Amino acid sequence: MTLKKHSQPILMLTTALVFFYLIQFIVLTVPQAQAEAGGLAQKIFYFHVPSAYALYLSGAVCFVASAGYLYRPSDAWDSWSRAGAECAVAFGCMVLLSGPLWAKKAWGVYWTWDPRLTTLLLSVLIYLALVVMRAFTGDGDAERKFAAGFGILGTVNLPIVHYSVKKWGGNHPTVVGQGGGGLADPNMRIALYLGFFAMTLLAVLLITARARLAQTNAKLMALEEHAAVEELLESP
Amino acid sequence: MGVMQTPTPNPTSTVKTPADRAQEFVAVQGGPETTSAQSLMVTAYCGMWAILMVFIFLSWRRQQKLDARLGELEAALAKRGRS
Repeated sequence: MTLKKHSQPILMLTTALVFFYLIQFIVLTVPQAQAEAGGLAQKIFYFHVPSAYALYLSGAVCFVASAGYLYRPSDAWDSWSRAGAECAVAFGCMVLLSGPLWAKKAWGVYWTWDPRLTTLLLSVLIYLALVVMRAFTGDGDAERKFAAGFGILGTVNLPIVHYSVKKWGGNHPTVVGQGGGGLADPNMRIALYLGFFAMTLLAVLLITARARLAQTNAKLMALEEHAAVEELLESP
Repeated sequence: MGVMQTPTPNPTSTVKTPADRAQEFVAVQGGPETTSAQSLMVTAYCGMWAILMVFIFLSWRRQQKLDARLGELEAALAKRGRS
């Protein structure tokens, strides 16, 4: 299942327009939060939280595809698993970059070994290890199965990331859900929901694009092997 | 709203008079957060977009490599068709 050729440009355009509107809405309309929450730096929240959500989404894709590959190995499952992990790393890096910059203003430090921060870092490192492993090892069934196991491990850690604040406390705020008081201003809520929508579009776009690349790569490798047997190409 | 446990600034200094200030520098623990919120926000947004752009660039580069390999295969097939 990949996006049809004509639907991808439409999705790209929609994503770009939503992001453009979101950024100007955050900058011009959304009010500044209280100083204890970081003041102007709190506006990082409208990209930080949706990025974390996109990480969960990518992780879910990686998990389902990895489980699918272990159950019934195919190029398609492997491609989706790989794409999910790659996008999880990208979104994870966005979260890990934006969070500390906001924390510097709100907490006075860039990083603290808070349960949520630590578990999130662990998850991103697992996905990163998976991506690096796929880049530097072969593409055989054993490597793919090992990567699928890693993909499942990375995603199993995500609920721990999500509920770590409730379970172990820490500095990380729980404004939305889990007993938090929510966002006081309606424009703050609109910005957050719009952020979720924009990141969903971006995640769909990136995951499908990377999955298609991985599928094309797998097909091309099979063709190259066939061509090498037929002595059309030199052995890879 | 969920409570953020902000570390309490606790500036301590042994410098008492202007004369002491001129003769000694003392390390201070804590103190008010002075980093500009605006620069932190701009850095965060620019950084996130930079990560996204790098990811898109790497995808584009992978696509270029695939196109090159496909071209090589097509050329080999065409060569075989001619011979």
